[in-house]
Amino acid sequence: MSTQVHHSSVKQYFASLANGISTTLKGMWITFRYVWAVKPVSIEYPEIREVLPERARMRLFNDTQNCISCTQCAMACPVDCIYIASEKLPEGTEIKKTSNGQSIRLKLNQFTIDTALCCYCGLCTTVCPTECLTHSHDYEFSAYTIDQMKYDYLAPDIVAWRDRIVK
Amino acid sequence: MHKELADLINKNVAGANAIAFIAADNKTDSSITVEASHLFKVVEFLKTNNVTSFNSLHVISGVDYVEYMEVCYMLTNYDPANIRDLILKVKITDRVNGHVDSIVKLFAAANFQEREVYDMFGIKFNNHPDLRRILCPDDWEGFPLRKDYIAQKVYNGMNVFPDDKMNMEDREFIVRQEMIKKAQETKAQ
Amino acid sequence: MQSRWDIGQPEKPTLNSDTEQLKSELLTLNMGPQHPATHGVLRIEIWTDSEIVAHAIPHLGYLHRSMEKHAENLDFRGVIPFVDRLDYLASMNMEWTYAMTIEKMLGTEVPRRAELLRILTGELQRIASHLMAFGTYALDLGAFSPFLYAFDYREKILRLFEEVSGARLLYNYIWIGGLWNDWTDEQLTRVGVFCDEMEEEAKKYHELVSMNRIFVERTANVGIMNIQDCLDFGASGPVLRGAGMKWDLRKNAPYSLYNEFDFDVPVGTGEVGQVGDCWNRYIVRMKEVGESIKIIRQVLEKLEPGPIMGKVPKVMKLPAGEVYVRAECPRGELAFHLVAKADEKTPYRLKVKSPCFTHTSMLPRVAPGQMIADFVATVGSIDIVLGEVDR
Repeated sequence: MSTQVHHSSVKQYFASLANGISTTLKGMWITFRYVWAVKPVSIEYPEIREVLPERARMRLFNDTQNCISCTQCAMACPVDCIYIASEKLPEGTEIKKTSNGQSIRLKLNQFTIDTALCCYCGLCTTVCPTECLTHSHDYEFSAYTIDQMKYDYLAPDIVAWRDRIVK
Repeated sequence: MHKELADLINKNVAGANAIAFIAADNKTDSSITVEASHLFKVVEFLKTNNVTSFNSLHVISGVDYVEYMEVCYMLTNYDPANIRDLILKVKITDRVNGHVDSIVKLFAAANFQEREVYDMFGIKFNNHPDLRRILCPDDWEGFPLRKDYIAQKVYNGMNVFPDDKMNMEDREFIVRQEMIKKAQETKAQ
Repeated sequence: MQSRWDIGQPEKPTLNSDTEQLKSELLTLNMGPQHPATHGVLRIEIWTDSEIVAHAIPHLGYLHRSMEKHAENLDFRGVIPFVDRLDYLASMNMEWTYAMTIEKMLGTEVPRRAELLRILTGELQRIASHLMAFGTYALDLGAFSPFLYAFDYREKILRLFEEVSGARLLYNYIWIGGLWNDWTDEQLTRVGVFCDEMEEEAKKYHELVSMNRIFVERTANVGIMNIQDCLDFGASGPVLRGAGMKWDLRKNAPYSLYNEFDFDVPVGTGEVGQVGDCWNRYIVRMKEVGESIKIIRQVLEKLEPGPIMGKVPKVMKLPAGEVYVRAECPRGELAFHLVAKADEKTPYRLKVKSPCFTHTSMLPRVAPGQMIADFVATVGSIDIVLGEVDR
C-alpha cells in the first residue's frame, strides 16, 4: 500500500518477485497440509457433545430440600438475581435436618433465580453452608421470553429434576 | 520523596501551595495537592525540569468526596533506572461551575482523559480543544459518578431506569407473592 | 513540545499536486459501530479525501456498562466478576491486577504457590490474548486461515482454564488473597506439553504470516507511532515496545514474583519496515508468546505443593486512603485507582486505567494521510478490546 518499492536494478526486481512468490507458496503449503495431515478439531455439536469438566459453571440449581434459607447466596450475588422468601415454621413442627446435619428452622416460600440476570460467577455457590446451591451441567435452556428464564426451584416440575441433577 | 517534591514545586511555582500527604504505611499511597488555578504551571514544571521530569501522563481520575471533588493526575516517568509515580491532586469545591485548566498542551493523553472526567463528574476544563461527553450520549442528563447522581428515568422515549429489575408482570411470581402476603397476614391476625 | 493534536481544526493531509487539483471536499464516512475491522463496537468518523483519510474521530461509549459506578455498590469480592468483563480476552490479568490492588491495601501475604500459579495463568492468558490478536489481525488484512489455527491453540488454553476455574472466558478465578482452585499435577503436565506444542506452532505462524510478502506490504511502514508520540499519549505495552522502547513493568518494576524469572523484553527493531509501524507492533506480540512460554516453563520447575489462599478477613474492610497499582497486561499497562473509606464494605471509587482507551486516543494522531485500508491495519495493530475502552 504505502510502501514505495524502488527497484534500483533488474536483479532486485526479480529478487522481489521471487520473494513474493516463495513466501506466498510457503503459506499455501502450510494451509494445504491441513487437507490430510491434521485431524479436524471441530465437533458436530448437537450429535456429539463435549463432556464438560467437573467444575464447569452452567445453570444454577438449588436443591430446596437442603436449603436452610440463610440468604447468604442472595447477599453474595453481585447482580442480585436470587430472590428468597421464607417465614418461621409454625410452632410444634418437626425440625428437619439437611444432608450435612444442619437443622432447617425456616420454611422456604420462594427460591427464584433469574438466569437472564445471572452472570455465572459462582460466588453464591461458594458461600452456601449446606452446599445445596450448585452449578449444574445443563447449558441448553434457551427460552422464547425473558420471563421463562426465571426459575422457581419450588415449582413441582423443577423439583422433579432433582434426581437427575443432584450429583 | 513527596515532601521534597512539594517543596520543589513551592519554590519554583509561586502560589502553587503544594501540600504533600504522606501515607502512614505502605498500604496506601502518598500524594501531592496543589491549587487548581496553578495546575497547568505545576504540571509544566514537573514535565520540563531536569530533576523530576515526569514525561508521561497515565490517567486522570476524579473522585467525589461530597464536600469537594478531586481530580487526580497520575504522572509517571518511563525511566528504567528511576521509576516514579506521582498522584497530583487538585481540589474543586464548586459543584456547579467547577473548572480547572486543561493540560492537553502538555500531554496529548489528557484529551480523552479530561473528556472522561468531564463526562463523569461535570468538571470543566479550560482551553480544552473538544470538551464533549465521551462515554455517555451527548444529551445525557447529570454526571453519573457523582455521589448525588440520580439516573434519569426516560431517555429518548425509552425507560432506562426501571423501578424494579424483576419483571413484576410475571404471573407466577405475583401469585406466589400474594400467597406469601396472605400467609403473613393470617399470621399477624 | 507543543501538541499538534487539535480536533477543532484538523490539519490538511499532505497531498501531492495531482491529487490537490482533484480535491473537492471531504467526505464523512462512518466506520463502525458494526464494522468487522474495529474489533467491537468502536465508531470512527473518518473524513476522507478520495481514498486518503484526512481526519479520524473515535466515538466511544457503545459498550459503556458503567462498571465504575457498579463497583461502588458491590463488596470487594463482588467486583471481581465485573472486572472480568473489562478486557474479556485477558480476564485473568484483569482479576490479578484488581486482587493486587486490594491485597496492597489489606496487607495480605499471598502464598508462594498461589503467586506462581497466578504467573502461570497470567502468562497462559497472555498467550491466548496474543493468539487472538494475531488471528484477528490476519483476518483484518484478508487472511482467513491463521484465524482458525490461532483459535485452535487458544482453545487448548481455554480448556485448561475451564477445567481449573469452571468458565471459559469470565473466570472469577483469582481471588483476593489467593486462588479459588488448585491446579492438579495432571493439568500442570498438560501445560508443559502445551508449551512444547505452542513453540512449534509459533514457528508455523511466522512462516505463514510474519514474513509473507502480502502481509509485509500491508503492515510495514504503516501507522507509525514513534516514541515521542507514545510518551505524549501515555501508551504502553506492545505499542510502546513496538516503537522501540524497552519498557515492561514485569522487568522494570517487578511485581508478584517476576524478579525471580529470566526472560527478555522484545522490542521492535525495524528488521522489516521501520520502528513503530504495524509490523513491529505485531512482531512484538509474537515474540512475547515465546517469552511467556519461557516463563511458564520456569514456573513449572519452581512449583511446590502448598496453600493457595492467604489469610483474608471474611468481611473486608480496608484502611482509609487510596492506592494506584499498575500491572502489565497483554494490551498494555492496566492500573486501578482505588479510594477506600474506613469501615466501608464497598470501594468508594474505583477508576480503571485502561491501556486500550489510551491507544484509541492515539488514532487521530496516526490517521491523517493514511489510506482507508491502511487505517484498518492500524486499528487492528493496536489490538483494542472495546470492553476495556468503554468499561
